[in-house]
Amino acid sequence: MSKEHPLSPEKVEKVFLSLAAAMLLVFLLALFYSAYAMGMHLPGRDGEINPTMVRETPPFDEPGLKQIEPGRYEAVFLGMAWAFQPREIRIPAGAEVTFITTATDVIHGFHIEGTRVNLMMIPGQIGRATYTFTEPGEHLIICHEYCGAGHHLMYATVIVE
Amino acid sequence: MSSVGTVTPDVHHTSHEEDTGLWSWITTVDHKRIAIMYFVTATVFFFVGGFEALLIRIQLMNPEQNLISPELYNQLFTMHGTTMIFLVAMPMAVAFFNYVVPLQIGARDVAFPRLNALSYWIFLFGGIYLNASFFVGAAPNASWVGYATLTLPEFSPGRNVDFWFIGLSILGVASIVGGVNFITTIINMRAPGMKMMRMPLFTWMTLVTSFLLITAIPVIGVALVFLGFDRLFGTVFFNPAGGGDPVLWQHLFWIFGHPEVYILILPAFGVISDVIPAFSKKPLFGYPIVVYAGILIGFIGWGVWSHHMFTVGLGPIADSFFVAATMIIAIPTGVKIFNWIATMWGGSLQFTTAMLFCVGLVAVFTVGGLSGIMHASAPVNLQQHDSYFVVAHFHYVIVGGAMMGLWAGLYYWFPKVCGRYLDETLGKWHFWTTMIGFNLTFFPMHFSGLFGMPRRIFTYSADLNVDIYNQLSTVGAFIFGLSAIIMTWNLIRSWRSGEPAPANPWGAPHLEWSIPSPPHHYNFPGIPEVRSREPLWDPKERADIEAVTMAEPEREPIMPNPSWVPICLAAAITLAWALVMTGVWWIIILGMLPVLFFTFLWAFEPAFPEGH
Repeated sequence: MSKEHPLSPEKVEKVFLSLAAAMLLVFLLALFYSAYAMGMHLPGRDGEINPTMVRETPPFDEPGLKQIEPGRYEAVFLGMAWAFQPREIRIPAGAEVTFITTATDVIHGFHIEGTRVNLMMIPGQIGRATYTFTEPGEHLIICHEYCGAGHHLMYATVIVE
Repeated sequence: MSSVGTVTPDVHHTSHEEDTGLWSWITTVDHKRIAIMYFVTATVFFFVGGFEALLIRIQLMNPEQNLISPELYNQLFTMHGTTMIFLVAMPMAVAFFNYVVPLQIGARDVAFPRLNALSYWIFLFGGIYLNASFFVGAAPNASWVGYATLTLPEFSPGRNVDFWFIGLSILGVASIVGGVNFITTIINMRAPGMKMMRMPLFTWMTLVTSFLLITAIPVIGVALVFLGFDRLFGTVFFNPAGGGDPVLWQHLFWIFGHPEVYILILPAFGVISDVIPAFSKKPLFGYPIVVYAGILIGFIGWGVWSHHMFTVGLGPIADSFFVAATMIIAIPTGVKIFNWIATMWGGSLQFTTAMLFCVGLVAVFTVGGLSGIMHASAPVNLQQHDSYFVVAHFHYVIVGGAMMGLWAGLYYWFPKVCGRYLDETLGKWHFWTTMIGFNLTFFPMHFSGLFGMPRRIFTYSADLNVDIYNQLSTVGAFIFGLSAIIMTWNLIRSWRSGEPAPANPWGAPHLEWSIPSPPHHYNFPGIPEVRSREPLWDPKERADIEAVTMAEPEREPIMPNPSWVPICLAAAITLAWALVMTGVWWIIILGMLPVLFFTFLWAFEPAFPEGH
């Protein structure tokens, strides 16, 4: 029977549990260190906005790319059924871009392929995420949050030159 | 086959023959018949949901196809998700609760037999109502999570979302009633000597699941009522233009939605925790640990919901908390997987079809569990949010976990239900087509997801280079569909002419195997006394128990009356909800009158034959 086996299930289970607990501890320490000591937060909620007045409220009255200082940009994006505004932005390689987003109607997604920018565009909420594009190329922005009949048509492009 | 506890089945020991006509099924309050009706109905819906899945897979087989319209596609994936969760996985588990739990604890029926019938009929009518939407061309189309503000009347003006929120409300009633019934049954109706820590694991997991049902379903109930008011009476719970908050819906939905995941998986864990020991001829390794792990999953399951919402931007404190809780919940699940393996370790294993499904579950569910731990990490989660990677993950958990467990239970308990084995050759075909078809369908989705394919899209661009993965998935889906046909054919054939099975065909240790197959309508002529966790594995205890359970009773135990009130009350409840669609307050109130009427009939109807 298993009891005489040098590796009895009882022993193995204890090893297994301690290993799992140790791994968890490491994960969690890494998590709290990165979140609180290094200040790495998920991109996300950055204020509220009246969703019926989006087009009158700055910065959403002028969607598009704006240069703030050399190498730093702000890109204001609106999500609506079923398109992004603007449809395309062009930025030089190495630029740090802050995306500021909201939705005018239903919840949309704002996912830039190949980057870690992924936000929900929520009507009534402003989202913010910053990313530095180092390599020239093209990134698709897609809506990942199901938003109705034209969901699959909703995309925009970031062109890094 | 092993022949431990061989007793020739003999159906004619009862002193009165049971009715078998249609009316007897409509009015039945027997938990065994209700279980069979649950199972058959869930299987029919399994084919409906599976057919929807096949249409989805055909549409996605090649990029930029236009075989079905985007409008129909959106209805199909919404109804596929809603059907598979609310009309297949949950009721199929309830079928097993119904059949097995009273037999495992030594009870003659559940605590509230009429309520049990009511649960079934509400489930049936709710399912029919939900699917009737296809015939008026307005099937729900806002996805199974129904995120506000898409579900608000401005953005979904048709009847589609009305069918969805009313249908789910009706089904919720059935689940809550069922949960109450099983908690009461398990706590109050155990045979003498069956302490909590002697209960079979399936009964334990039924208890935990029932607590989740009565606590989680009311949360979505609240959300659906809010949504109903927003849609029909102009409130603004979820409408930011009026000061509401669409994120509130997400919180309410996932506070229900994550415990719901455990409502789906825990019954399967219970099944295989009973089946693996039976086919390893060893008691379950670390019984108390497996029980506590199950309870712990039930509790922690309440603290992980926001890992569905990392992209909302909840702030660093909430994000860290939910990352931590989600990682922690992996531990009790890992413990269970470990204990199943340790139970098999050194046992004399018998690879019947039931056991194959258990081993399959342990392997496949672990894949889903691992991708689940990947999602626990917020930065990784952010990359995979709403991609096909997530679709792969939850199908591995729900099909590879919940459904495989229930199929294991099907092959294990079928001989008890009809006194015949399910065919083992067909069973192995069922198992292998399931394994191959399932993995071929869902494993490639990990890749299509990581390469950027979002879920819930009607079609995708050829530039995405995910054609090959989608083609593999489509081929797999058809093989998987074939497995369902093999299963059904096996069920029909074995029901009619399967090899006869004795009372305890597997030499299993629990009480349900101490009575004839199929059981008498009163289950136990006398109630046996239990002295251990595996009563039938102790020769002395088994002899004592079978002296009671196999005995011919001098007078047949008195069982509750059949009743036609449950089906009428269920119809009245469904009608009352359906009338909510009119949005006219006095029609809605009028619609509640039949509910009141049948409730009164119910209250004054004698539950037992006169004089008892």
